[in-house]
Amino acid sequence: MTPRLSLYVPGDTPLHRVPAAWKLAALLLSGVGMFLVTSPAVLGPCAGLAAGALLSVRTPPRQLARHLTGPFVVLALVVVAAVVFQSAATAATVGLRLAALLLAALAVTLTTRTSEILDVLERVLRPLERTRLVNAAAVGLAVSLALRFIPEAFHRFHEIREAQAARGLSGSPLALLVPLAVRMLKSAEDIAAAVDARCYPPPPAARRADAAPSPARSPAPAGRTDEEATG
Amino acid sequence: MRIVLESVTVRFGSRTVLHDIGLELSESRVGVIGPNGSGKSTLARLFNGLVLPGEGTVRVDGLDTSEDARAVRERVGFVFQNPDNQIVLPIVREDLAFGLKNTGVPRREIPERVERQLEHFGIAHLADRPSHALSGGEKQLVALASVLVMRPDLVVLDEPTTLLDLRNRNVIRAAVEALPQQAVVLTHDLDLLTGFDRVLVLDGGRVVHDGKPRTAVPWYVEHCS
Repeated sequence: MTPRLSLYVPGDTPLHRVPAAWKLAALLLSGVGMFLVTSPAVLGPCAGLAAGALLSVRTPPRQLARHLTGPFVVLALVVVAAVVFQSAATAATVGLRLAALLLAALAVTLTTRTSEILDVLERVLRPLERTRLVNAAAVGLAVSLALRFIPEAFHRFHEIREAQAARGLSGSPLALLVPLAVRMLKSAEDIAAAVDARCYPPPPAARRADAAPSPARSPAPAGRTDEEATG
Repeated sequence: MRIVLESVTVRFGSRTVLHDIGLELSESRVGVIGPNGSGKSTLARLFNGLVLPGEGTVRVDGLDTSEDARAVRERVGFVFQNPDNQIVLPIVREDLAFGLKNTGVPRREIPERVERQLEHFGIAHLADRPSHALSGGEKQLVALASVLVMRPDLVVLDEPTTLLDLRNRNVIRAAVEALPQQAVVLTHDLDLLTGFDRVLVLDGGRVVHDGKPRTAVPWYVEHCS
């Protein structure tokens, strides 16, 4: 089984329709705000609001339970520790604050595509390009490639482990990691070629003006309709 | 579209992979066959500037691949043998949009073009699926769609059916046959070459036969098997 890194669930709920930048900004601001507030009387309604937002996404309850079980077990341990070592009031504050953040963050990730999150990341980083220390498009691509190939690496790790187990080898991390590294490096060459073949990097004009008209080429080769040219 | 190779030699370190190749390709369907290690993939990668010649020149519609690689890549799409390494973004829809963003297609046009391409291949239901969770045939279709959505004038396919089972091989074969674009297909699947205009046979980094499928395929079977 390979890990799933994107939790996005397609849908048409109001939260799906909110632009990613707004959702992420709201998450950031509410996160900071909730760390400035210490009253359970305020944090309680915040957690309720976050739960309402999450329920509005209409994710199947079983899927929701799967996403929440692990984090809430950890949250329960934190709350118990706070009760034991500090006070019930502190435990309530910590518990409600973390629960609100967790529920809100899950609501955002369930309704926002990875590409939208990366677009926001690129837009946030773009002003820093003037310092020549950051290449926003490259950072976006690097994060995308990581999300794409972590499951692939996990899959190849299992293949190598099975191949070695079939030949009676087991328990040696070095024997697993060396072939995995070699395979991933070999793939990296092909992936770099694939990225090049699809005209990366985008020209600066395309990165600057998202809505600018397409330059240079006609949309389809001469003598063919657009419909034909799509494949 | 015309591809012209003049006295092209390619070396990787001390190994010469292609020897003094001279070719002119303008046919609608060109097949390239040959044993493993004969230089097929290197030859194909010359066509869109992924490999540059050590000696000689490669011109695509008059553009020198060593000087205008980007312009050449906008015209020549490349489908790799292993779709696992070609699909570069985590979600199918995002992967198709990748090339369009790189070529400056206005953002408002991108979703519609992606949708149309997916529908064209009957894989619209895969749009929001994670790329790593697709079957082999689905991955190859997505890889092909991600190239065609960029509307290249020529498509180069590097062994598109090699890793597929019979059913998916037929699906990809039908998709290749239906391409309106000019296509260069590298393959070990000799049936795929039926109806092609021209077939090149490579061996040891040289074009050892060049002709119609009805002569080139039997020549290859006789001399290279």
